[in-house]
Amino acid sequence: MKCNDRVFGLLMLVLAVAYGWGATQFPEPFGGGEAIGPETFPFLLAVVLALSSLYLIVKPDPGSKWPPMRTGLELLIAVVVLIAYVLLLQPLGFIITTTLAVGTLCWRMGAAPIRAYVTGLIAGIVVYFLFTIGLDLSLPLGVLSVLEGS
Amino acid sequence: METLGYLIDGFGVALAPHNLMFALIGAFLGTLIGALPGLGPANGVAILIPLAFTLGLPPETALIMLTSVYAGAMYGGRISSILLNIPGDEPAMMTCLDGYPMAQKGKAAEALAISAIASFMGSLIATIGLILLAPLLAKFALTFGPAEYFALFVLAFATLGGITGKNPVKTILAAAIGLMIATVGIDSTGTQRYTFGVLELYEGVDFIIAIVGLFAISELLFFIESRAGGGKGPMKVNKLSLSWKEIGSIFPTTLRGGVLGFISGVLPGAGASLGSFISYTLEKKVLGSKGRFGEGDPRGVAAPEAGNNGASSGALVPMLTLGVPGSGTTAVLLALLISMNITPGPMMFTQNADIVWGVIAALLVGNFLLLLLNIPLVGIFVKLLSVPPKYLLPIVTMVAFVGIYSISNSAFDLYFMVAFGVAGYILRKLEIPLVPIILGLLLGPEMEKNLGHALTISNGEWSVLWSSGLSITLWALAIIGLVLPVVVGPVLRRRMRAAQENVD
Repeated sequence: MKCNDRVFGLLMLVLAVAYGWGATQFPEPFGGGEAIGPETFPFLLAVVLALSSLYLIVKPDPGSKWPPMRTGLELLIAVVVLIAYVLLLQPLGFIITTTLAVGTLCWRMGAAPIRAYVTGLIAGIVVYFLFTIGLDLSLPLGVLSVLEGS
Repeated sequence: METLGYLIDGFGVALAPHNLMFALIGAFLGTLIGALPGLGPANGVAILIPLAFTLGLPPETALIMLTSVYAGAMYGGRISSILLNIPGDEPAMMTCLDGYPMAQKGKAAEALAISAIASFMGSLIATIGLILLAPLLAKFALTFGPAEYFALFVLAFATLGGITGKNPVKTILAAAIGLMIATVGIDSTGTQRYTFGVLELYEGVDFIIAIVGLFAISELLFFIESRAGGGKGPMKVNKLSLSWKEIGSIFPTTLRGGVLGFISGVLPGAGASLGSFISYTLEKKVLGSKGRFGEGDPRGVAAPEAGNNGASSGALVPMLTLGVPGSGTTAVLLALLISMNITPGPMMFTQNADIVWGVIAALLVGNFLLLLLNIPLVGIFVKLLSVPPKYLLPIVTMVAFVGIYSISNSAFDLYFMVAFGVAGYILRKLEIPLVPIILGLLLGPEMEKNLGHALTISNGEWSVLWSSGLSITLWALAIIGLVLPVVVGPVLRRRMRAAQENVD
């Protein structure tokens, strides 16, 4: 499994070159001619990164195993849940999205579905009131705002 | 005696009722977080940073709360070491050696109480050391010029992997990545760098978001992968019966452990793991056949505990006086300071004396609170810990999300945080350490500024960076810090593992 470090080293080498090239594209700062420009430090970093990634390519460590497909899928689900959480936070409101997100995560981590979503609901309500009443911070209520009767 | 006056003022800050309350909350939360496997002190402090912001706490209160979290997390790691033989973090490894045998003999409560007392003693000794050493070091640091600071930053990165670290090249690589992320945004000359015209990037990458993403979210992913959601086995604690005589018998041990721990905390690259290891080994040597180490000797619990708490307080010395943290957790505390517009370093001792001394006093108060909290309440902690991570971790993650969201109200930041989380997972899989990335993010702007000043003074002559005796010393130390782990590291790691296996 030495290819882990090799592939990563290669990617970082590409990044180093791109980053270094990016530094050459900075516009000359107004008044120019300073001993150190905006590109000096990035150049230095690009060199350091390039050298260390070259070392990784030449002398990689034995890497750890990647998770099998199924676990990989679970991880993907978790990431999707997190992204969906951000996406739905405004429109659906904090309590509903938290119930869904915490519930789904608990469930995928091995809790029984009903218990998982109940945990999510309780967590959502408790945290909501803790933040809005206890800490005086506004969290979006979303569709639940009809309950406020305003 | 000037120091004493400051310290008394510091206690005045730390003992103010609301600060005391937050210290108590911090100690409680910290213990919980530290006890969860994998969620070490650095993660714990990172997750709670948004909370400190959302509460709108003044800087000294926020710092006091988070130092208490730090102390609590260090302590919480012991609960699973002692009860289940599973170390919560690396420094807690040595505590398993005698702690678990004690628990097996039905003396779990005693082992926990002893570790609390030893932790308290270790911190007490180290805090005294901190009080004596920090002002001196701060005064010395005033003689540093920009070139010396640049070399010091390099030294900090070089020694971050620690003497027990595995691959120094990966530390350098990680540091470079962190520093590169730090260059994103508009620099001091007004030039846009790597912003790609994205408005949100103009102000650079917020390191709080990076920290929470890298630590907390990647932790969630690791839990899912290892399917550890079910939690740990049942834990039982007996009723405590500890006599003053027994407490007295561990006193010399804690003294030695605390001093050794403090020294290894202050020294760059040594850290808490080494502190607890050295203390344990020395104690074994000192007591020889009089001790029953590995079979549940109380002194075998006290020594590493005093050592690692001594080290964690000692690690605050370089962070407070030089602005250069020596460990992951102190790096996170540094992040908090910077985001509160306090620049750590020698000037802080004069400009923000109340905060510095308040924090130092809070360390003592926090440890005392832990002692009070843990001896009677350990049963409650153990109960709370049997809440399986499959419920706890998703909730913790959501609280971190909301914390960040309520500061910035920007969905962009949250997406960024998820991205950092995924990156953190991949990097940890590749055994790229995350702490240098954080440190790079934090120190990047200062490092570039000092490089700029040094080169401006010398008219672009690069040799200015190694022209003074002090800077040459710092460079030399940095090189040693990189080379030494390669030479000594494998031997030390093998010994630590051997000590561990002897018990199993």
